[in-house]
Amino acid sequence: MVCAGIDAGSRAIKVALMDSKGGKMLGSGVADQGVEQEALARRLFEDVLARAGIARNRVSRIVATGYGRNNVGFADTTITEITCHAVGVRHLVPDAMTIIEIGGQDSKLIRLNSRGAVQDFAMNDRCAAGTGCFLEMVARRLGISLSDLGQLAARSTKAAAISSMCAVFAETEIVGLLASGTAPEDIVAGVMTAVASRVAAMAGRTILPPVVFTGGVALIPRMAEALASVLKHPVSLSPEPQLTGAVGAAILASRK
Amino acid sequence: MNTSPRQITLDEWDVHYEALRAAGLREPPYGGPLRRHVERDSDLRLARLRFDNSPAALRLWNFLLTEEDRLQAARRDGTKIVGTMKDLGTVPVMAYSLPNVVAFYPDGAWWIPCVMELSDGLLGIANTLGVDESFCPVRAMLGAFLTEAHFPIPDLLICSAGATCDDFSAIAQRLNGLGYPILWWEIPSRRRPEAEEEAVDLPGGFTASRQQVDFVRAELERVRGALETLAGMPLTADRLAAGIRAANAVRRRFDELRRLVFSAERCPLPALELLIAEMLAIHFCSDREETIAVLDDLIAEVKRRIAAGQGVERAPASRESTCSLKQEPPTKVFWVNPVADLRVMNLLEDCGGRLCGTEFLFCHALDELPEDAPPMEALARAALADPMVGPATQRAERICRDAGRFGAEALILSRIPGASHCATEGEIIRGLVQERLGVPAVEIEVPPVSDSVAATLRSRIEALIETARERRCRCD
Repeated sequence: MVCAGIDAGSRAIKVALMDSKGGKMLGSGVADQGVEQEALARRLFEDVLARAGIARNRVSRIVATGYGRNNVGFADTTITEITCHAVGVRHLVPDAMTIIEIGGQDSKLIRLNSRGAVQDFAMNDRCAAGTGCFLEMVARRLGISLSDLGQLAARSTKAAAISSMCAVFAETEIVGLLASGTAPEDIVAGVMTAVASRVAAMAGRTILPPVVFTGGVALIPRMAEALASVLKHPVSLSPEPQLTGAVGAAILASRK
Repeated sequence: MNTSPRQITLDEWDVHYEALRAAGLREPPYGGPLRRHVERDSDLRLARLRFDNSPAALRLWNFLLTEEDRLQAARRDGTKIVGTMKDLGTVPVMAYSLPNVVAFYPDGAWWIPCVMELSDGLLGIANTLGVDESFCPVRAMLGAFLTEAHFPIPDLLICSAGATCDDFSAIAQRLNGLGYPILWWEIPSRRRPEAEEEAVDLPGGFTASRQQVDFVRAELERVRGALETLAGMPLTADRLAAGIRAANAVRRRFDELRRLVFSAERCPLPALELLIAEMLAIHFCSDREETIAVLDDLIAEVKRRIAAGQGVERAPASRESTCSLKQEPPTKVFWVNPVADLRVMNLLEDCGGRLCGTEFLFCHALDELPEDAPPMEALARAALADPMVGPATQRAERICRDAGRFGAEALILSRIPGASHCATEGEIIRGLVQERLGVPAVEIEVPPVSDSVAATLRSRIEALIETARERRCRCD
């Protein structure tokens, strides 16, 4: 039998299919989030099943997670993204002790114990400055795609100081920096440092390595380096960073 | 009529109320259907809450929501009205020791924006007075004074100053500046006595120096003088001693109610009703004798439920343990600080939790006053036991002690937007709780109407409970 995890995030829906022993990924997919959340999730789920050649009746259990988890009515149950990311990351990176997850709308810092269970967590869901939407705003302002931010930042020789603690004010600050001739690559590097600083503030003084970075923002090159620089700890990228929540949900579905 | 305990909506209460009436429900003069508070007073938030379905809970809510009527009646019959602010529990004991005085907390207006879903405009009035959203929602009190729509203007206003939160002081000073004179009395920041100082034991397990206790006693003597002038009679030691005994009669009932609720195998009273009930401790909701009757009803209902093995906890509809247990008992949660939006208390049962302890900022109003000390000495000690006038570490130590007592598996720290007293203490409390008890803790910030952040609040509480359940499995 097959178990499924559906991560209904603020920007994207992710689906993972795992064998019922929770060890092997049988299929996965990602689609943009939208207004019709349940229909979009169902469409993606069926599409992933079709691509994996798995009949719907072979799926024994579905767990939904993420910000829109309660809108996935065809799931058997819901579990928060904190628990799912912890299980997903630990499956993919068995020695992970600290997880940083940055999504489109929030960011999380999850501390694990030696058994891989959640010990403690902190969330930023009130301030855009520590989330992917801050980076989206910068990309939009610079007229480049989100995926190009990293390449641009790699050319930076001196990251600009972004002093505003609020993404809205930071946009004004960025306009000012551009007007004063600051190179776009330095601005992007500065914004990445600002996002990393916001996330680091959640960590407090204690960081237990290994630190693993996951979530949609982990797909942006150079962001892991920005985090490592601020945290003063190596930060490794999770395999399949956009899928860890869905993977964790599928594994939890298999544990029933 | 004997029904199973359940949390029900206002619509369900309409039907349930009629059924109870038909079955012979007896109510006090302030009784009636909850719906009337929405229709008469625009308490719109009630339509979004889920209430305990017992007649005892109905009486509790009706008692709470009719306080204005009692204050207006007091004004009409010439009873003196004292508005006391910030001390949360001490000055009312003095005021109610006088036969012709009632006391209430105008700061209680902080819940009006929630209960009326911002329809009253009190926060807007505060804005126009320069007291904006960077201040605690207590600023609604300013609007309530200016509109005179929520309580009669007190004959005497008393407010503690000193070791109180900065924003509250600013709000009260603004009130003073608007032409509402305030009798200020100082409460010093409680500190542990130096080695050479005489140490005095306070309620709640705290200590203070003799010098600090004497100072507070002298400050309360000034309050006593003002109350005597207002009442036109002496506030004698005998009257104070009787007032302390009467307050202790209330506090002993709270001790019993809390012990029953926190230790019962199945949770016999929802978090929301316990929060509301505890609020009666600080000033008896303007009627000390009726407070006792309300509490007696609640205690009787709780005992009945415990004897019947009944609880109000909801089955965790969509939340299952990550360790494969199909059905688990609710997670025992210790709750710190009251919420600005009452609706958030319903989330606890929604997410598979139950209360096993509380510290709503006024635990000193639940501790019995010393009856073996002279009355003013006893009151001074009680005032100094206020969790807000001491270091956050001392508050955290008491929380750890109380949370451990009933086996807390998790802790929720509710922050009040703009309130300076809790801006930094959360980290201290969380740290100590995790170090001493090893249980997960989460901080949430609850605005007066939390609908826009409801999903994120739910996620945090759910994640906390998932974490606690995972830990429970490991401990097993």
